[in-house]
Amino acid sequence: MSKIDSAAINRAIGEWAAHIAGSAAAGSAPLAVIGLISHGDLLARRLVRLLEERGVQAQYGALDISLYRDDFDMKSSKPALRSSYLPFSTDGLRVILVDDVVYTGRTARAALNALFEYGRPAHVELHTLADRGGRELPITPDYSCFVINAPTGDVAVHLQETDGCDEITC
Amino acid sequence: MTKTIIKNATWALSGAKYDLSLSNGEGGTPPVLDGITLTGVESISPAGEMAVPEGAQVIQAEGKLLLPALFDMHAKVEISGKSKRESVNRAGQAATNGGVWGMLVMPTPAFRFDNSPNLDSFHDAVNQRSSAEMFAAGCITVGMEGEQQAPYNTLAARGVRILSDAEHVPGNLLMLHRAMKYAAELGLVFAIRGDVPAITRNTYMHPGTTSYALGLHGTPACAEEIGIETVLRLAADAGAAVHVQTVSTAEGVEIIRRAKAAGRKVTAEVALHHLLFTHEDVGNYDTTYKTLPPLRDRSDCEALLAGVKDGTIDCIVSDHTPCIPFAKKQDFITAPQGMAVLDSYLPALYTHLVKPGKLSWAELVRACSTAPCAIVQPADEDDEPKTAPLMLFDPAAVHTVLAETLACGTANTPFLGTELCGSVTLPLQ
Amino acid sequence: MNPRKDLITIGSLTDQEINTILDSATAMKDIFTKSVKKVPALKGKSVLTLFYEPSTRTRSSFEVAAHRLSADVTTFTVGTSSVVKGESVHDTIDTLMSMKMDYIIVRHKNSGIPDVIARHCKAAVINAGDGAHAHPSQAFLDAFTIREKYGTVAGRRVVIIGDILHSRVARSTSTILQRLGAQVAYMGPGPLVPLQQHTGIPRFTNWDDVFEWKPDVIYLLRVQNERIDTPFFPAGDYHQAFGVTEERLKVIDDLDLSIMHPGPVNRGVELCDAAMDYRNCLVCNQVENGIAARMSILYHLTPQTQNND
Repeated sequence: MSKIDSAAINRAIGEWAAHIAGSAAAGSAPLAVIGLISHGDLLARRLVRLLEERGVQAQYGALDISLYRDDFDMKSSKPALRSSYLPFSTDGLRVILVDDVVYTGRTARAALNALFEYGRPAHVELHTLADRGGRELPITPDYSCFVINAPTGDVAVHLQETDGCDEITC
Repeated sequence: MTKTIIKNATWALSGAKYDLSLSNGEGGTPPVLDGITLTGVESISPAGEMAVPEGAQVIQAEGKLLLPALFDMHAKVEISGKSKRESVNRAGQAATNGGVWGMLVMPTPAFRFDNSPNLDSFHDAVNQRSSAEMFAAGCITVGMEGEQQAPYNTLAARGVRILSDAEHVPGNLLMLHRAMKYAAELGLVFAIRGDVPAITRNTYMHPGTTSYALGLHGTPACAEEIGIETVLRLAADAGAAVHVQTVSTAEGVEIIRRAKAAGRKVTAEVALHHLLFTHEDVGNYDTTYKTLPPLRDRSDCEALLAGVKDGTIDCIVSDHTPCIPFAKKQDFITAPQGMAVLDSYLPALYTHLVKPGKLSWAELVRACSTAPCAIVQPADEDDEPKTAPLMLFDPAAVHTVLAETLACGTANTPFLGTELCGSVTLPLQ
Repeated sequence: MNPRKDLITIGSLTDQEINTILDSATAMKDIFTKSVKKVPALKGKSVLTLFYEPSTRTRSSFEVAAHRLSADVTTFTVGTSSVVKGESVHDTIDTLMSMKMDYIIVRHKNSGIPDVIARHCKAAVINAGDGAHAHPSQAFLDAFTIREKYGTVAGRRVVIIGDILHSRVARSTSTILQRLGAQVAYMGPGPLVPLQQHTGIPRFTNWDDVFEWKPDVIYLLRVQNERIDTPFFPAGDYHQAFGVTEERLKVIDDLDLSIMHPGPVNRGVELCDAAMDYRNCLVCNQVENGIAARMSILYHLTPQTQNND
């Protein structure tokens, strides 16, 4: 089992924010960073804060996409739903969907469906902390901090806000 | 014919050990021990003192108890969807397994004991197919419908000693009063349950914590008690003898105690399940525990047992009621009442009452054998009284009650899957 | 933990399950405010409503909930002929199983029927009211409404008023409120309020004692005359004795108490007209929350129809 530690993750998130800021300068549409509950929303909040430090305005949103999933696990209980937080219309925005791990691509598919019920964004990108491979749908993240080749086995992302430390184990 | 000798059997009533030689059905007056006729026994002597003749078959009964087989004066044999013969056959086998030599069969729709052809065909079925003796309780009213009196003379001539409409309580008290006056002249006993149907209609269990939790309407104890009082007063006025069936409440026991003290012609019974189980056993709609009257509080169980011990309650009965699996699989309100316990009868009595010291063997023999025989007065076709045969009971044998080993044909027994102590040898040969 | 297949009573749920369903109900309610009031969570799943007792409200509420989760809804009409004795519930279950339903929502006048159905079929069975036994979806919407109003259910005092003896609502709602840390009391005509030793719940028979108990919520049950063969109480003076009259409404207003009712309200019996317009009357919130609560229940149950059927 290998680990990516807190320092590496923080450095990567910094570069991630810089990447978004760089592209935002060139783009014209206003920016929204929408994280997928859970973990993605925490990353989105960090990104929005880092962007602000760089003088780039971005709206923050969180999306619970459980109701849009196509892969219900019939063998275990479903966790409680969380309220999505999207206090703005996505019409005409450049939306960056943030997820902690991109794996089969089914979450991203569900997120797109959920997102479009809040308006018609001008442009949607998928960003992730870790791309672990194992895709089952024609979906590729536009930006990945780490590429881990682990189409089987466990990949776990821990974040300071919920787990007390930043860490990726795989 | 080979002689059969039983060595070292423990007489349940006293604990003393005896050797016995069986009479092989030959004549001669059987010996009497502790007031009990040892039916089928030629001679008896203290253990170790009986010589074994050449070629005799010897049954070693060390550790086993000898006692008269039981008489169950409240059982139903009808199994819905089965022929009368099969019903009789299965109930007879179940009774024998449970240590019961004879039983009083309550009328049911397929066993309508309100005319002589039905009684004759029942007796034929019993003679041909049953390993246990069965006697019919004649109907009080035609079709048990509570209106028109059954032909009591005809029934009495066919050996009927007890009249009962089973669980049905005649609502027409004038009819019942007149029936009692008439049948009293014939020496017939009215076996009736205490109930006021107007109060207990649409009720399903004892009112209490469980009925509240399950949202089921409660059957008030007072309905049974008013019913008992009513029947006792009618019978006293009519000069008839009453046997109160399946008393389930503490106050019911008290009413009978007072009536007996006042010299009324009354006897009473309690069903085994009312001594053992409470309304809490219904749990989450367990239809096995749906009975009539319903299972009540622990305090009622205790009062009923005290009634058995002091003789207020004359007998313990099985209230055997086979219910097919489909019937009991229905919801609690729709499912029929009743338990089928004959297969495990004596082992259950022993395990739950005698072994824990709640009931002595002497009390058990009185309540389950001699007292019911005295009330029913079983007799053969020539009106000769029949007495209980002896059986051996091995209290050390432990078995788990399994559906596939039940002879009674249905599995609606609360003992299913539980461990019971004791195995019955009946008949002895 | 194995996913739960059926919802028959509140008592059978764990604290965690109760809280999960309530939490998700909040998220479900957000859906109502979107322009597209529908999510694909139960797309392709079939939901059957099987009502042996008429109830337009509960049935519609479940149907709307199922529609908003994109399920296909079938209404199984049970004619009076099917209710006659002899028609066994097992025959109906066999029919339903052949229809390959995923969710069955059942109401029956006999306590215990949904439990029998649940044990004999793979579909998720939701009890929409059985006899005087249980009405768990009502309990969830009531708890949800109180939580929404007060922020938390714990510590609230709720008095349930009316025919407690015959009420599945009283049983289920009191159970969920107690599980969530609220205090519950019962009040009603003497013969219709079970003994405290049977329920463990304080028992009153007049309004003075109710006000003295200092409740936060006054929960009135519907007077169900149709379910009672021989009347338990004289119907004529119910409003004066046990209803929210104009005078009592003033006291309720002064004390800032909330009023709830499972509906439909018999105006002039349980509640005076003015009570319906009272600022803390939560009856309409209950109806709206009923849909969210039922969506959440449907979402969190897991039929076994997928597995080797």
